[in-house]
Formats: sequence, structure tokens, C-alpha cells
Amino acid sequence: MHIPDGILPAPVCVAGYAIAGGVTWVALKQIHKTSDPQAELPKAALLAAAFFVGSSLSVPIPPVSVHLVLNGVLGAVLGWYAWPAILIGLLLQAILLGHGGLTTLGVDAVMMGLPALLAGQFFRQRHRFAKALAPKPLLGIFSFLAGAIGVGLSALIFFTLIVFTIPSTLNQGAEQSFLTALMIAHVPLILLEGVFTVLLCFFLMRVKPELLEQ
Amino acid sequence: MAVSLHADVFIPGQSIIHRWAARPKLLSLLALMFAIAMVRQLILLPWVFVVVGGLYLWSQLPLSYLARRLPYPGLFIVAMVGLLPWVSGETVLWQWSFLALRLEGVQVASLIAGRFLAILTTGFILLGTTPFLTLLEVMRSLGIPPLLTDMTLLTYRYLFDIANQLATMRQAMQLRGYGQSRQTVSRQWGWLAALMGSLLLRSYEQSQRVYQAMRLRGYGQNSSAPRRMTSRSGNQRFALPTSLTLLAAASVVIGEILLPPL
Repeated sequence: MHIPDGILPAPVCVAGYAIAGGVTWVALKQIHKTSDPQAELPKAALLAAAFFVGSSLSVPIPPVSVHLVLNGVLGAVLGWYAWPAILIGLLLQAILLGHGGLTTLGVDAVMMGLPALLAGQFFRQRHRFAKALAPKPLLGIFSFLAGAIGVGLSALIFFTLIVFTIPSTLNQGAEQSFLTALMIAHVPLILLEGVFTVLLCFFLMRVKPELLEQ
Repeated sequence: MAVSLHADVFIPGQSIIHRWAARPKLLSLLALMFAIAMVRQLILLPWVFVVVGGLYLWSQLPLSYLARRLPYPGLFIVAMVGLLPWVSGETVLWQWSFLALRLEGVQVASLIAGRFLAILTTGFILLGTTPFLTLLEVMRSLGIPPLLTDMTLLTYRYLFDIANQLATMRQAMQLRGYGQSRQTVSRQWGWLAALMGSLLLRSYEQSQRVYQAMRLRGYGQNSSAPRRMTSRSGNQRFALPTSLTLLAAASVVIGEILLPPL
């Protein structure tokens, strides 16, 4: 779900960089409010590398297999650090793999990073319901929703960008059926991302619960 | 995995583009990339290719470098614009049964693919002639917050280590029976979640050791000001390529403004 160079018009790319700059400012401000941002830096950097590498895993959904986006779980584990982690991950993907692009880096960061931050904030709200539900179902519900929100919102931003930048010569009927097919194709991915986030969070809760307490 | 296949992004050389000071090179080539992103007139594309092709030849990067790096991102662009000539537009160029090739669709697809190819090649010129660490230094000198540059450096430093760890763990998982035909999909998902969780756990534990080592080496003891990027051999190191690249970028923008819309 990366937009490569050349697809979007320049004003959209510039707007993407402007929004990404604003979000970076807010995220860094929040990070500097923590007790020791320098102590968190290696953790965020190495976990960002692990997520970057881990997104190459292909998960089977017969008859095909898909790569996960993992931005929801990234937000849940890294909190505000998820934003720089995604920004850096996208930069490295553009440089090392040619995946995404340098002119679309801002747009791609907004598309992947904002949902990650929202998913992370949502995941943190589970503590409010700690008295109402047992820990495991509570973690299950919130991790599923965090994973699904991450990729679901990214897909929504992606479709919005396509709708606003699609060529005006495209037939209305063709445009509608194309977008509907794309949206339907993303529903199983959203569910899979949610389920995978639940499995991952249950694993982390068993072996290293502190990783979920960002 | 794909990460390790393209680790050799920088190709050492002695061309003018290699010796071009990193800061004006980054800014000029980024300006050119954004100018190319502005192109909406198909007629400008040949000029764009002349500019980018000229820069590529000037950089003396081998053609095999481009051939090696283009196919992977190229597949994405083909997937994204491949349908346009068949579904977009009114003027039918060629028809067979229900398949109709349309002029407007061909024009839009060519424009997008052309911009993509030109921007990507410009990016490869930048990355192929400038070491990644130099680019990070330039970004820092341009005011990118140290937290971002330090984090980028650490992520880049450990990316290949972690990729190797994942490869080893995957191999171990397969030797223990992952992917065998009798496994249910839910069981395979469980294995993959455990694999990803173990990778996060190992990275987290490694990060604790890295932080201790960084502290012992004085990280965070004094806030060092960003190093000023200086040019050793004076202005001639960047005046010619900078002015030519900016001129080319300006010509693309002016052409875009002056030419009537398609």
C-alpha cells in the first residue's frame, strides 16, 4: 500500500510533505515529554528494523499469501515512536528496494503513520476498561481493533487519494466498479491484520508484557 | 530476502556527480524530481528523459545498476497503470471483441509511467553516487532533528542483522515442520505470530545492550552541534552540476506552465 513516484501530482506530494512535517513536529514534542527519550531511541530503532524486516513475511490465506502492513501493531508497541519508525521505514524501503518513492514519501508517511498513531492511542485506552473485562479478552479486543484500524484507515486514505487523483477521462462506471472491487479485496486483509495483531499481542503478553506497556 | 539483495545501493566512482558536494546534490536532484512530478504534458517527457539520461551518463553509473533496480518497483507501476489504456477515454485506437485500446488511456498511462521512470532514475543517480551515511549527515545539516537521524542510522545499522536473524529463525521453523501440507491455516498463523514476536523480543533485548554500549561510549553526554558541511575543493565542486540541474528543473516547470493543457 505504497504510492510510487510519478502517480500523484506535485501539489499532492508537497502537501504530503507539509502534513508529514507537522505530524513529525507533534510526535517529536510528545517523545521529548517522556522521561528519557535517548534511552528509548535504540529500542524504537531496533523494533522499527524488526517491523520493517517482519513485513516481508508472507501469511497464507489460501489460495494466496499476503504481506502484512503491521502499522496498527507498530502503533500499539511503539506509541509516538511509531511515527518516526514508519517515516524511516518508508525512507529505507524507497532507498533499498525502490518501493514507494522519494517524492511520495510524505504522502506515504501520512497514509501509514497517522493510522498507526491512532491505533496506538486506541490500544492504550484498554486500561480504562480493565475493571470491566478480564485481561486476555480485553487485550484480544483492543489488539484486534488496533490492527484493523491501522490497515483500515490506511486503505481509506489510499482510496481517497486515488479518487481525487484518478484521470478525469476514466469512465464513471469503470471507476466505481474498480474502487468497489479494491475495497472488497481489502476487507479480508483488514480482518487478517486484526487477527495477526491479536496472536502477536498474546505472544508478547506471555513472554514480554512490558513491550505492550508503551 | 529482498533487503539484502539491494544492500549495494552506492557505487563508488570518480565522476563529476560522485564528486558533487552532497548538500547541493541532494537539494538540486530533489528539485528536479519535484519538477518532473509536476509534468502533465506528454510532450515534455522526451526533454525530461534527455535531462535524466544525461545526468545518468554523467554519473558513469553502469546500466546494469538501473537494470537490476528497476524491475521490482516497475512491476508496481505496471500493475497500477496497466489497465488505464483499456478503461480510460473515448477515442478507440484498436478493438478486438470487448477489448478496446483508448487514446486518452494510453496518454495517461504513458505520462504516469514516464514520470515514474524519470523520478526513479533521478533517485538512483542520487543514491548510487552518494553514500547513505553522507546523505544522513546532509539531512542533519539541513535541520532534520537529531533524534530522527540517529534513529535512521541505528535502524539502518541493525536492519541487515535483524534480516539475518529472521532468515535463520525461518529456516529453523521450516526444519521443525512449518508449511507442511497437513497444517491448518490457523496453526500456520500461530507459528508466524510467534516468529514475529520472537523477532521483536530479540530486537528489544539487543536494543538494551546497544543502549548500554552507546552510554559507555558517551552517547547523550554532550549535545554536539551538527557538523557544518564544507567543500574541500571550493565552488567548482558543485557550481556546474548544480546550476545545470536547477536550470533543467526550471525549464521543465516553465514548459509545464507555458504549454497549453492536453
